[in-house]
Amino acid sequence: MITDESLSELKVFLKELEINKEDDYEQHPLGNSGRVTIFPKTEQEISAVLEYANTNKHSVFIMGGGTKRGYGGLLEKADILLSLAQYTGIVEHNPGDMTLTVKSGTPLQEIQNYLAPYNQKVSLDPFFPNHATIGGIISANDSGPKRLGYGSARDNVIGLTMVYPDGTLIRSGGKVVKNVAGYDMNKLFIGAMGTLGVVSQVTVKLRPIPKYESILFVSFSECNVDEIRAFAVKVLDSMIEPISLEILNPSLAGKLTNTNQYTLLFSFEDVKSSVHYQENVIRSIVPDKTTLRPLSQNEANSFWDKFYHQQPNGLTNVATTEAVLKIGVINLDVIKILQEAELIGDTCHVSIEAHGGFGTGLCHISIRGANDDVVSAIKHIRKSVIQLGGYAVVKHLPISLRKEVNVWGEKASSHFLFEGIKQKIDHNRILNKNRFVGGI
Amino acid sequence: MMSVIRINTTDKHIIHLAAIVGGTKSILYKKADLLAYDCDGFTIHKHLPRAVVFPKNTEEVSKLVKYCSEHGLPFLARGAGTGLSGGAIPVNGEVIISMVRMKKLISVDLENRRAVVEPGFVNLKLTNSISDRGYYYAPDPSSQYCCTIGGNVAENAGGAHCLKYGVTTNHILGLEVVLPNGDIIEIGRYGVLDEPGYDLLGVLTGSEGTLGIVTKITVRILKNPEGKQTVLAYFDKVEDGSQAVSDIISAGIVPAALEMMDKTAIEAVEAAAFPVGHPKDIEAVLLIEVDGITAGIEEQINQILEVCKKSNVREVRAAKDEEERGRWWANRKTGFGAMGAISPDYLVQDGVIPRSKLPEILRKIAQISEESGLRIANIFHAGDGNLHPLVLFDARKPGEIERALEAGSACLKACAEVGGTITGEHGVGIEKREEMWFVFKEEEILAQTNIREVFNPDNLLNAGKLFPTPGRCVEIKKEMKV
Repeated sequence: MITDESLSELKVFLKELEINKEDDYEQHPLGNSGRVTIFPKTEQEISAVLEYANTNKHSVFIMGGGTKRGYGGLLEKADILLSLAQYTGIVEHNPGDMTLTVKSGTPLQEIQNYLAPYNQKVSLDPFFPNHATIGGIISANDSGPKRLGYGSARDNVIGLTMVYPDGTLIRSGGKVVKNVAGYDMNKLFIGAMGTLGVVSQVTVKLRPIPKYESILFVSFSECNVDEIRAFAVKVLDSMIEPISLEILNPSLAGKLTNTNQYTLLFSFEDVKSSVHYQENVIRSIVPDKTTLRPLSQNEANSFWDKFYHQQPNGLTNVATTEAVLKIGVINLDVIKILQEAELIGDTCHVSIEAHGGFGTGLCHISIRGANDDVVSAIKHIRKSVIQLGGYAVVKHLPISLRKEVNVWGEKASSHFLFEGIKQKIDHNRILNKNRFVGGI
Repeated sequence: MMSVIRINTTDKHIIHLAAIVGGTKSILYKKADLLAYDCDGFTIHKHLPRAVVFPKNTEEVSKLVKYCSEHGLPFLARGAGTGLSGGAIPVNGEVIISMVRMKKLISVDLENRRAVVEPGFVNLKLTNSISDRGYYYAPDPSSQYCCTIGGNVAENAGGAHCLKYGVTTNHILGLEVVLPNGDIIEIGRYGVLDEPGYDLLGVLTGSEGTLGIVTKITVRILKNPEGKQTVLAYFDKVEDGSQAVSDIISAGIVPAALEMMDKTAIEAVEAAAFPVGHPKDIEAVLLIEVDGITAGIEEQINQILEVCKKSNVREVRAAKDEEERGRWWANRKTGFGAMGAISPDYLVQDGVIPRSKLPEILRKIAQISEESGLRIANIFHAGDGNLHPLVLFDARKPGEIERALEAGSACLKACAEVGGTITGEHGVGIEKREEMWFVFKEEEILAQTNIREVFNPDNLLNAGKLFPTPGRCVEIKKEMKV
């Protein structure tokens, strides 16, 4: 347990460090809080705080923008909440090399705004880019519908500096886009939910901002799952190269596009002639009883803005219980999952908003309703997903309910390796305790 | 079963290993037979294995591994043996587990864009088996006509087209792995993305066969691009060629490939099997390929032609047809082998630099060449800054091997000094172990060997690869300051 004495010890060698002490009785509905919150501004401060915590066996939770506060974790409070909110800014940008090094607490949108005048961007499309920090996005390996064209953090991060639990700085990868020197340790830290170290600096490769982009919606007036699937297959087998090929369930489509029908969302990014050509290919093969709606570049941008902020997250504050599931299945099974989720929504009396990528097999389902109903919907959906060989992870849920559902699902056969890795790197288990799969 | 196996050896382990793989047809143990396995594509160091076994399935691999592990026998896996850094050389007299008989294409699922292969399946065969339906497998190392996908996973192989499409790790969806204790695990069983847990797929890919033996691989396959166009550009100055590379990328074009060869390399490819008539007096040739939606390609090609003209190009043109495009690529892809036409021996290096440092590093390499008295040709994936300096030497001349190795190492040091790294796609193997100090601190090496300990605690699997000798760090750093 952290005490005032031990904190003052920390203050002695880090005079500038900002430390907030929280009221012990204050509880955040999403948990993952700290008895004290520390706001380091430099890598050295992060290192010193971890070394101090490790020596004193104080538990540490890590927070960026707070959008993922409801993502995993079974404890209300750690001794220390390490907030990276003040550890922000661009470290190095080499426009000619198209690489960027940035501090982990920087929100993605801030990075994109900085890069825009150079006609460059980080090709990642996580949810809540205004608040989500690059460190948090990487640690949770978050991605949206453009994953199909962009890849994920594992495809775009080329170097990391990690602060290990004992305060050691460990660099992985580098500043070049191709690198096989040693193990690909970047991958180990991406998606590790902060259980192996604190991401300090991130180096990503950049992509040019596309010359033009658009969206094309195809809404199906009849809910014929086979027909939707067959159309997706036809598109995938054609020569066009959509950046996303996402199916939205009727309620989500209704909310975002005012058409309460299963809707396929195609997005294109390329030179204008190529984008229009691809839109025309879709027009020429689209089945009967469908409605087409194109969005021009500006309309598409405002749609995406709305899209990435529609999910419940750590910063929303509502009366009903909200949950978000991330589901991975074999690509084309996403439509089965969406349909199944609709049925479960009805029987469990919860509202379901869902979308899934035909080219990636990744779905997101937002569930809203009463506590018990939400829990029961999660369990039912997970059961169907597992039958299809997939997994369901609970991306957002109040802490009281996280204890009732297993956030990460059953342990994999390789779990002993996860345990071995955790034990080697964080043997005192101070970092993000119980935040990850199998209680890691 | 064992009684029917007749083996003329006193090594009881050989008899047991033979029994696991079903007899003498699946094991080599006589010195004469083992000689072919004493090195891989890195031919400077040689060492005889204890035996070479050829399992047919995962169960046999698991049993072999279990046997080796229980009896303390060092072992390693080998694919086609095309690796360029010595990753498959049995430096500890290993039992080599050759994966070449596990070479089936298990399944292809075009709708979900994946294929499942055994590790001995040859890279190019995958593309050949699906190209009639309009699909291909993207990673295309130069040795793709004979290298295996299992070996590609171990080395995280790249290729000319990974500028746009990424290297092997970006195309692996699932693995079945025999761990160094013989246990079998499956990661990403159905090729589903982002399975919960640490990204073992990412860690295993490129681990150079030191963490486990891959026995089944689920890969992503891609739809052929609608169109492709290749441009060839000749430059009188390397600086101008380098500038064109930067300007093409800065113009917002993401070429599928962007390759460069210097004067010495051109001399070699023109003297070898696939000459295309490159002028002898130019300093650099660029090969630029754009692919994607046909409607957008012409615009990009015009832009590339413009950029090259602004960079004082001597001559630039797009391939007039598929035949010409094919000839240009054959000329480039056989570039390493072409060195044989102008030098008895060559050593290929694999440094990576930030693209903008290209002119600087080429000057530095020229200087290294002069100091060593050896010619160095440069063939490189200019788009992603991956250089392949080819040090030309004659092994029959006393001291030349050593000088070539020193010159190669000096090139890597120069790459590291401008913010790059020591290997982009060939791996560290035994060749670049000590060069790891150019890019990593002692604790960073330790962080990596800690991961190895989790998988491979007894270090019987492919020991002595990838990592430098502990404690050499200080020495090397001193050298680097000089």
